[in-house]
Amino acid sequence: MNPSLVILLLLALVVVAFQVGKARSIEIVGGARGVRDLHSLPGHYGLLTAMWCGLPALAVFCIWMLAQDAIITHFALSSIPSAVAHLSPAERSLLLNDLHNIVNGRIDPATVAESTRIAAASYQSLRETAHLALAVLIAVIALLGLLYVRRRIRADLRARNSYEQVVEWALFACSGIAVLTTIGIVLSIVFEAVRFFQLIPITDFLFGLHWSPQMAIRADQVGSSGAFGAVPLFTGTLLISAIAMVVAAPIGLLSAIYLAEYADRRARSVIKPLLEVLAGVPTVVYGFFAALTVGPILRSVGETIGLNVASESALAAGLIMGVMIIPFVSSLADDMITAVPQSLRDGAYALGATRSETIKQVVLRAALPGIVGGLLLAVSRAIGETMIVVMAAGLAANLTANPFEAVTTVTVQIVTLLVGDQEFDSPKTLAAFALGLVLFLVTLVLNVIALYVVRKYREQYE
Amino acid sequence: MSNTSNGASAYQPPPADVTRAKVSAGLARRYRAEARFRALGLSATLLGILFVIFLFGSVIWRGYSIFGQHQVRLDVFFDPEVIDPSGTHSREALLAADYQALVRAALKSRFTEVEGRRQVRDLTALVSTGAAADVQDAVLADPSLIGQRRSMWVLTSSNVDWLLKGKVARSAPENERRISDEQLGWLDALIKDGRIEQRFNWTFFRHGDSRDPELAGVGGALAGSLLTLFVTLLLSFPVGVAAAIYLEEFARQNRITDLIEVNINNLAAVPSIVFGLLGLSMFIGFFGMPRSAPLVGGVVLTLLTLPTIIIASRAALKAVPPSIREAALGMGASRVQTVAHHVLPLAMPGMLTGAIIGMARALGESAPLLMIGMVAFIVDIPQGLTDPSTVLPVQVFLWSDSPERAFVERTSGAIIVLLLFLILMNATAVVLRNRFEKRW
Amino acid sequence: MNDSIPQAGPETVGNVRVPEPVFSCTDVNVHYGDKHAIKNVNIDIARQEVLAMIGPSGCGKSTFLRCLNRMNDTIPSARVTGRIALDGNDIHDKRQDVVQLRARVGMVFQKPNPFPKSIYENVAYGPRIHGLAADRAELDDIVGSSLRRAGLWDEVKDRLNQPGTSLSGGQQQRLCIARTIAVNPEVILMDEPCSALDPIATAKIEDLIDELRESYAICIVTHSMQQAARVSQRTAYFHLGDLVEVGETNKIFTNPRAKLTEDYITGRFG
Ligand SMILES: Nc1ncnc2c1ncn2[C@@H]1O[C@H](COP(=O)(O)OP(=O)(O)OP(=O)(O)O)[C@@H](O)[C@H]1O
Ligand SMILES: [Mg+2]
Repeated sequence: MNPSLVILLLLALVVVAFQVGKARSIEIVGGARGVRDLHSLPGHYGLLTAMWCGLPALAVFCIWMLAQDAIITHFALSSIPSAVAHLSPAERSLLLNDLHNIVNGRIDPATVAESTRIAAASYQSLRETAHLALAVLIAVIALLGLLYVRRRIRADLRARNSYEQVVEWALFACSGIAVLTTIGIVLSIVFEAVRFFQLIPITDFLFGLHWSPQMAIRADQVGSSGAFGAVPLFTGTLLISAIAMVVAAPIGLLSAIYLAEYADRRARSVIKPLLEVLAGVPTVVYGFFAALTVGPILRSVGETIGLNVASESALAAGLIMGVMIIPFVSSLADDMITAVPQSLRDGAYALGATRSETIKQVVLRAALPGIVGGLLLAVSRAIGETMIVVMAAGLAANLTANPFEAVTTVTVQIVTLLVGDQEFDSPKTLAAFALGLVLFLVTLVLNVIALYVVRKYREQYE
Repeated sequence: MSNTSNGASAYQPPPADVTRAKVSAGLARRYRAEARFRALGLSATLLGILFVIFLFGSVIWRGYSIFGQHQVRLDVFFDPEVIDPSGTHSREALLAADYQALVRAALKSRFTEVEGRRQVRDLTALVSTGAAADVQDAVLADPSLIGQRRSMWVLTSSNVDWLLKGKVARSAPENERRISDEQLGWLDALIKDGRIEQRFNWTFFRHGDSRDPELAGVGGALAGSLLTLFVTLLLSFPVGVAAAIYLEEFARQNRITDLIEVNINNLAAVPSIVFGLLGLSMFIGFFGMPRSAPLVGGVVLTLLTLPTIIIASRAALKAVPPSIREAALGMGASRVQTVAHHVLPLAMPGMLTGAIIGMARALGESAPLLMIGMVAFIVDIPQGLTDPSTVLPVQVFLWSDSPERAFVERTSGAIIVLLLFLILMNATAVVLRNRFEKRW
Repeated sequence: MNDSIPQAGPETVGNVRVPEPVFSCTDVNVHYGDKHAIKNVNIDIARQEVLAMIGPSGCGKSTFLRCLNRMNDTIPSARVTGRIALDGNDIHDKRQDVVQLRARVGMVFQKPNPFPKSIYENVAYGPRIHGLAADRAELDDIVGSSLRRAGLWDEVKDRLNQPGTSLSGGQQQRLCIARTIAVNPEVILMDEPCSALDPIATAKIEDLIDELRESYAICIVTHSMQQAARVSQRTAYFHLGDLVEVGETNKIFTNPRAKLTEDYITGRFG
């Protein structure tokens, strides 16, 4: 009896419950002609019954499935006490990995140790039992729910109202997922970051000038500190983001102005979607482009004018990141510019201002708060952008403001620290979460300010 | 401003023609500034368009050739001595045989003059290592081939393909083109025989990843992407629509609603990699879900796209005029009925459009998937939601890191496939919007 | 310019021409796409006079007013034909620069639209872009005198650096008038300048119009017949794009000659 069968069983019961509830409501008022005496439609009684049948059982099912693996693993390991007694956490997780792989038929049992095989066998038989128990439990709960509602069905039972109440709660729960996600992000990152700060003092992390996390995974250096100064990452991130904004802000803004105020309808309807294509291109594509096309071009251009440009220079990554952000800036700016009421433009024109004078001195002036908000959002994007920098910026944590040198960023380091094999306890892995925390907080602050400014701006002209 | 209060009472506006003259005097300068500004705007716009052309041009230029691949026709003798000396035709025996020997023999039968280990090695290097697998597949599919001689098309090695596609000049030094002069001679002989042809590159779409460029394909990544998107769509669309309905149709204006709204708007701007951290420590670390699995990838991408879908769905609901709700409510329908029967059907096209755009974004997303391990070297095509797999953009990332130059072509090819999918999705969204968008 | 065939409309009743006009309009037609909004209008605007334009909503008063300083250029679908001469020169002439035209013909709108700048900068904006002030002192003078003539000086002289939007509606409208006269125009067009204002603010603006008449020709659109009667010397009545009647204000209101005019001012219409 595997879980998907259990779900099918439950579904069947729910369908039955619907029919039972519906039939019962009709029966109670003496047949189809008495339906008018019912408070709600027969279908509503059916739905209510189905809900009582299905929802509690489903909740139990979910809880069971979440807990099952941990509990069964525990018992399975206790069947081989001698083999697990002295395991380090890393070895233990390796063992568990093997165990799960055997159980799911991903590796050949012959390739692992005897004890693991025993544990796997015990896991499998325990799981059989557990699934059977689950099936019985689910069936019982579902039937109980069904019978409970059936007994309560009377002509004046407000079935529709109860059912709609549940629907409303369900809708509310769905919209609450956004909040849960935020909480999840905060909890998971903060939890790991705090563990990191227990190993490495937070001041060393925030103000240290030297970053080389690879050192710390050598056996003799586990837990040793001193290589986790994140300042070079912060400056690298800022350098690349600054280059990106230098590219994106003027181009995005000017093209938005041109399209909104100068281009005629036909040109706009062609050019706008064309520029928006840039927004739909996945960031790996930009990364590939930056690393393979732009990097070498910059390098050879640098060579001809006698500049030493690193092949993974901050400039290449920043330039392409800027291109990626252009449509973002441009569409935000476009929103802000078109939100400026025509009456202000008319006021300027009526005084004899030229078009550019109107735009520069009146329209942009009026749209300024909105545009600043949009630019802040763009900065937050640049800071959080990952793939372009992973592919086009380097790993070298140089503390420099020279755009021709290679720098590394917060996101690059998160990726390099976490991709590949990892132990959850090493400072190397935990450092990624500390960086993630900084990234999350900084972008959060930027976003909150930006969204607030933009909203206030919109309200002003609504 | 003391100046103003003293002198102003005496101030008399100058006669009209004086003012007129002053205005005229500045006109030329002002129109020059106007032209400059306009030119600036135009060049910014053109620059943007140029980037689009340059980006697409460079990807297409590097990658279009992936759709063809050179193959060579070998006359393979399915030698019973090599395949199945015992004559049992048992599956084990067939699986264990040395098919590379058959390929080698086939080549040698054409170039009888080839002698010695080194030369033989160089000769067989013209053909992909996948050729042996093709021969094996043929035998497994039809064991009666054993003992017969057949013509088979097999892949050339990536170096040969590279040269024949003209990516490297014949005149280039040997080490650069990675084909020796001797090999070049054999190759020309094969070409003269009409044994070499460029054919459509099915391998690229059917295979998973491989160390050999000519055998690497996007099939595995494509399957992984589809599985992941399937999970994402299944979760994010109902939940997103439900959340939007709650916020638009049921929520009262209060603290909790405000909190949810601010939350959604902020989540939409949280860097995607942060969602990867969430997936890693929550789903994999805490709930013990499997690494590299489309299931986890799908859940992470769900959280990532949810804000987009909610925002789009709310816009679609907002576009339904209140009069329709009032009409239904006025007939005595409950709120739930009003929404289910009247509002939702009208808002559905807009919501679907939003969902497709959200899915397109999810399809291009890679950073959070790196965090949850969907970045492994995966040869097998994933069959289920918990099989280790990767996705298209991550495959691009993996290949782009490869030193092998033939992978550049693969990478660009994978990008073209990815972009085709994205264009398809966005075009669908546009069509949907244009067809069903109602102006009230 | 006369590429459209003038459609036969009713002849305008009354004397449309005056001696030495500032504006002289002949056969003016305006189309918004397919919509014919102004039909064959002929009218002169005299110096040092207030001309009131009245008529039911949508009859084209604003449209006609906006022809006079070519504000309709900013509406892509609008097409203006006919001859509009300012001091004898066609304003649609290639040699006539639109920037200069608008410097000579100022406009005040229905809704006050101060720029998101300080009060001072609002008034200084026109003189600045046109280079009317040689130095800061002269600019101060222009701003001060404009605010004074707009009757706003005493209310704002201590807060010149506050944003123009911080003023009340009536103050904002007077700020817009001050902004217009700071450019020292020859004609001022006003499109329902008092419709958003209370009676006291309206009275102030009406006084202002009366004073300004000494130096400018003023063209005012209004829905209030009392206002037209109070401030104007001549009145033009528009109806569905036609100019029905023009005449001295007191005569129009006491003794209208066209039936449509009579219906309108006696309240049987609109
Ligand atoms: N931008 C435009 N595009 C299309 N049609 C317009 C436009 N502006 C005005 N119209 C039309 O031209 C006609 C005249 O409009 P106009 O604004 O001049 O009327 P009005 O006399 O000023 O009315 P009101 O007293 O309400 O201000 C109206 O029928 C209007 O619908
Ligand atoms: Mg009007």
